Amino acid sequence: MFEQFREWETNRHEYAQEWKERTGGKVMGYFCTYVPEEILHAANVLPVRILGSHEPQNVTEPHIFGMFCPFCRDCLAQGLKGRYDYLDGIMIAQSCLHIRQAFTSWEKHRPREFSYYLCMPHHVQSPRALPYLTGELVQFKEAVEEWTGNTITDEGLDHAIEIYNDNRRLLRSIYDLRQDEHPPLTGEEAMEMVISCQMTDKEEHSGEMAKVLDALPTRGNGRDPGVRLMIIGSEDDDIEFINMVETSGATIVVDEHCTGTRYFWNEVEPRDDRLEAIAARYIDRVPCPTKDWEDRSRIPHILELAKKWDVAGAIVMQQKFCDPHELDTVAIRKALDEAGIKTLFLEFDVTVPIGQFKVRVEAFLEMLSDEDLFD
Amino acid sequence: MAEFWRWKEYRWHDESKDWRDGELITAGVDVGSVSSQAVIVVDNELYAFSSMRTGSDSPESARNAMEWALEGTGMTLDDIGFVVGTGYGRVNVPFADKAITEIACHARGANYMYGPEVRTVLDMGGQDCKVIRCDERGKVSSFLMNDKCAAGTGRGMEVFADLLGLPIEEVGELSFQVDEEPPPVSNTCVVFAKSEATALLREGWPKTKVLASYCSAMAHRVVTLLEQLGVEEKFAITGGIGKNIGVVKRLEKEIGVEAMPAEIDTQIAGGLGGALFAQRLLKKKLAAA
Repeated sequence: MFEQFREWETNRHEYAQEWKERTGGKVMGYFCTYVPEEILHAANVLPVRILGSHEPQNVTEPHIFGMFCPFCRDCLAQGLKGRYDYLDGIMIAQSCLHIRQAFTSWEKHRPREFSYYLCMPHHVQSPRALPYLTGELVQFKEAVEEWTGNTITDEGLDHAIEIYNDNRRLLRSIYDLRQDEHPPLTGEEAMEMVISCQMTDKEEHSGEMAKVLDALPTRGNGRDPGVRLMIIGSEDDDIEFINMVETSGATIVVDEHCTGTRYFWNEVEPRDDRLEAIAARYIDRVPCPTKDWEDRSRIPHILELAKKWDVAGAIVMQQKFCDPHELDTVAIRKALDEAGIKTLFLEFDVTVPIGQFKVRVEAFLEMLSDEDLFD
Repeated sequence: MAEFWRWKEYRWHDESKDWRDGELITAGVDVGSVSSQAVIVVDNELYAFSSMRTGSDSPESARNAMEWALEGTGMTLDDIGFVVGTGYGRVNVPFADKAITEIACHARGANYMYGPEVRTVLDMGGQDCKVIRCDERGKVSSFLMNDKCAAGTGRGMEVFADLLGLPIEEVGELSFQVDEEPPPVSNTCVVFAKSEATALLREGWPKTKVLASYCSAMAHRVVTLLEQLGVEEKFAITGGIGKNIGVVKRLEKEIGVEAMPAEIDTQIAGGLGGALFAQRLLKKKLAAA
């Protein structure tokens, strides 16, 4: 049922190249989830999210600091190794310094036909953020029009917004099914589904999700869900890790990752000014920790997810050396602990030490369950 | 060439008891990265154990430890009602009925060894180090493990014993034979610490001073881990390094808390915890039958 998502996720490069041949459109590789993809879609550009490959590599050392996160190095390695050479453009919307370094180094060493740095404001809680970003999007739209030769119309933006919102709604609907006592899909399947939507044509992806959504309510996957867990943190497309957790007596029923719920949780609400409507979506969305201040708005959101999806525990992960996440981790763990939800904290690298993590995960699960070991 | 790292492998059983009088006979086999223990418990009482070096083959190490623990008792594997495997090789114990992590087992073992008032357990093992908080039943409430490096662990101490040519079982005592406490060597990596120590020896430092420097580095490293989770009394130490007073005394001083005195070999805590869990599981199994 989820094979298509896995296939897309595994063969992401082949997919993008075929899409290009099929449609004659341009492909834009982007870093981080603050890129307003709706605008690209309206210009017949396919946005694909640049992710790593989880293989050890030795090509980024001269270009990026060793104490920058492994994810940004893994992403840059993909560029330097030429795996994304089919990209017509690359862009980033400001999130953190580490990934920006990957972007600028890529720009320098693997220049594309088009490259764009979108000045996404950090202080999204300021009332000035919306007019500022709207202004940035006006410039961005013009740049994309000039590059592609396509005019971006209000109709085109409305259509793109609808397609993106539809994809977000389908993801939410499937995530909702995971609230069930016996979730009809695993965390691994959910991860493949949500990751693949970030590298494929949204309409095609939504079509596949609609089929899955029809079939899921009657799917008996026959698995004992075990301990219900949530996973929280930065970028995470580590399917091997999720699989290890879910074969140790647990099911991940919901996530709070930028490759997961943070990517799709919020929709674009209609406004007369389409660019302002899009800007508002990115300003008001569940934020990345680089932008979540002065209030830590993620915490009430995380607690709500934990409650609705009825989790017994949470794995809080982050990419090694990720300062923004590290700064929030303490507060997040404290809030969860006070809500009676135990947490396990793990630092991820390009490859994860499965054996060492397995001991921690199993001990965590024993801590949450195994009352039968005691009188 | 003498192997200074080599610690004593041994076995023990309670000769004052006849296991045949017991009802529930269970075992815990802890196959760690450096050492393996098989512990036999009869009616919730420690009856026998063995402690030996882990070989390259985990199933073989488990079998060897078990056979040695049984030696001279007249008991065979068939007399044991339930076996729990634990440690790094917990899934490679061929005769185990269940695998439980060493984190849960050390907390349970410490609860037996030191009593129900233990709240913080520090397990200093062969290649990793764990801080465990637990309740009055010995159930884990939170834990923290060190990361990838072997500094602050048993294997690191073995490397130093060999480098200095001092028997591993004496290094703790010897580390106090200094006029004043030297500054610690690097504690991020055993390999770095070793090269630093080599340089100090070349500078003319006596061996005991280098040892003091390493013990204090190791204690400090463990203390940073302890402080992350917080030390709630009472505090106890398990694992092989628990027997090295050079490290134990220094870390007690640094945290300002004394560890509870050990009456049972701290190295068997994991296997013992496993055997005690096995008691509970056997009882449940018999009740269900």
